[in-house]
Amino acid sequence: MNNFVKLIRNEQMKMYSQITTKVMVITFAILILAFGIFQKVDDSFLSGGDVPSGDDWKEVLQEQNDLLQGEDGSREAIQYPAFMDVEVNQYYIDNNIKPTTFDAWDFVQMNKGFISIISLFTIIVAASIVANEFKWGTIKLLLIRPISRAKLLLAKYVSVLIFALTLLVFLYVFSFVVGGALFGIDSISQTYVFRQGDSIEQAPIFAHTAFRYLLSSINLVMMATFAFMISAVFRNSSLSIGIAIFLMMAGNSILLFLAGREWAKYILFANTDLTVYLEGGPMFEGMTAVFSVGVLIVYYVLFIVLAWLFFTKRDVANA
Amino acid sequence: MTQPVMQLKEVQKTIKGKPIIKGLDFDIYPGEVFGFLGPNGAGKTTTIRMMVGLMKLTSGDIYIKGNSIIKDYKQAIRHVGGIVENPEMYPFMSGWKNLIHYSRMIPGIPNERIKEVVQLVGLENRVNDKVGKYSLGMRQRLGIAQALLHNPSILILDEPTNGLDPAGIREIRSYIRRMAAEENVAVIVSSHILSEMEMMCDRIGIIKNGELITIQSVQEALKQTEQREVSMEANPQQLATEIVTELVGDDISQSGEMIHFVASRAQIPDIIKHLVNGGVDLYSVDVKRSTLEDAFMDVIGGDSIE
Repeated sequence: MNNFVKLIRNEQMKMYSQITTKVMVITFAILILAFGIFQKVDDSFLSGGDVPSGDDWKEVLQEQNDLLQGEDGSREAIQYPAFMDVEVNQYYIDNNIKPTTFDAWDFVQMNKGFISIISLFTIIVAASIVANEFKWGTIKLLLIRPISRAKLLLAKYVSVLIFALTLLVFLYVFSFVVGGALFGIDSISQTYVFRQGDSIEQAPIFAHTAFRYLLSSINLVMMATFAFMISAVFRNSSLSIGIAIFLMMAGNSILLFLAGREWAKYILFANTDLTVYLEGGPMFEGMTAVFSVGVLIVYYVLFIVLAWLFFTKRDVANA
Repeated sequence: MTQPVMQLKEVQKTIKGKPIIKGLDFDIYPGEVFGFLGPNGAGKTTTIRMMVGLMKLTSGDIYIKGNSIIKDYKQAIRHVGGIVENPEMYPFMSGWKNLIHYSRMIPGIPNERIKEVVQLVGLENRVNDKVGKYSLGMRQRLGIAQALLHNPSILILDEPTNGLDPAGIREIRSYIRRMAAEENVAVIVSSHILSEMEMMCDRIGIIKNGELITIQSVQEALKQTEQREVSMEANPQQLATEIVTELVGDDISQSGEMIHFVASRAQIPDIIKHLVNGGVDLYSVDVKRSTLEDAFMDVIGGDSIE
């Protein structure tokens, strides 16, 4: 076990000694910062103006609801364009949840979209971590140690996951810090009200955002594992990066193209977005969350087994 | 007789139906420098890759300190340190970090040991520089340092002097001899440069087309080649030729003022005595030792690769 931790430390040391990795982390930080500043400067980007946050917020919201339900002409007098959903407004009032202004939490939630960039970076790292050892020729010195190939491969895979997790935590924390600096923090614990399918739900903001981040990471883990597998099989990083990024980008197009087929629901990309089961319905008839998780597990095991087979069984002939 | 530290038993390797190694069978003993010699494409690198577990054996087995490389890979490889082909290191890390990296992969290597090997290969001043800035010679030294970290019983060096300048070659040669003499390490060296092997090795195994043709101790090989090539500038030439023919047979050639023939070392004074007494004027006598190179060429018979 101790041994395994050392292997992971080795991988992390190599990872962060490379300029590519440093550039990725710095670029990522700059992107988040720039996005925050852009929103701060360009008000229209914010969740649309003022929030009824005075002591009389209940009356104000009620007024807005009356206006929304009134004659068409009265809509022009609406003060709070962010609160257009009568039922949600009513939910706020009924449950005594005071709306909060756009603050660090909202920024964190908004930055969920950056996870696709983490996917991109993780794919690059996953595709390189095995293939580069072959490219550099260092694989020969790596494998002539009293450590099984399977263990080395696992250490590399876990390192990739640690890299992705680090970036995820970084995104979350850094977004909160940047959001806090630019937009302030309304309160640390807030209740988030949202529509889920046909009903209106509430959840503590931290639990809600963390859960959404995790759900969005499923695609990341699957694509990174795929890139890692291609890298272990073909021992070529450019090929692995290319295929994985192409599939990540084109995944939905492929899905639309094949949507008519009976077996389309078994395609990986039809199952990577589990949020569809929370909001609205799945893409194909008869799909359930359990079905999707099952399909994901099958793909995952397939990728891991392929990577393991090729890495441990094949000769190192020309590195 | 000491126990062999490495034993190859009927090692065969077939790649895509083509036999590359057709059955190697030999032992390596502690404290010896074993040269693995053969023309390019003979199977040296394939054999070395099988010895360190980078390639699987098609049949046969390799025992390292009694541990089968197939069944007890971890136990076997623990005793091996090596460089396979070029000394490739991580160019974006310092030499020191590279060594830390490899030290973590084998239990029980303290930092003192790393310092020790750095000193042994003489890299103290540059060990904190990035490997990308190293010359080939320095990378070769770092490669050796890496191979020595865990005090291996067998050191496998594939083409260790490849790309080094003469000073570097001499240095590597002295490390290798020292390792064998002082630490009782068995060193396996592969090369296709004969003169180098002659200076470095105790025994030389010659491989051609995947078969071991012969194993010779360098001492013996040199003894076998007691025959010397002699060139003399003599006048009159005809008379000299006749006298020499009587003593060594008629394998004599003439070119210009010179006569050339082959004789053993012991015969040479006698030949000169006869020539002088016979009234031949000798202007020069040039004796060349027939080297291992000739023995090698005899054995492999040219450079053909099947």
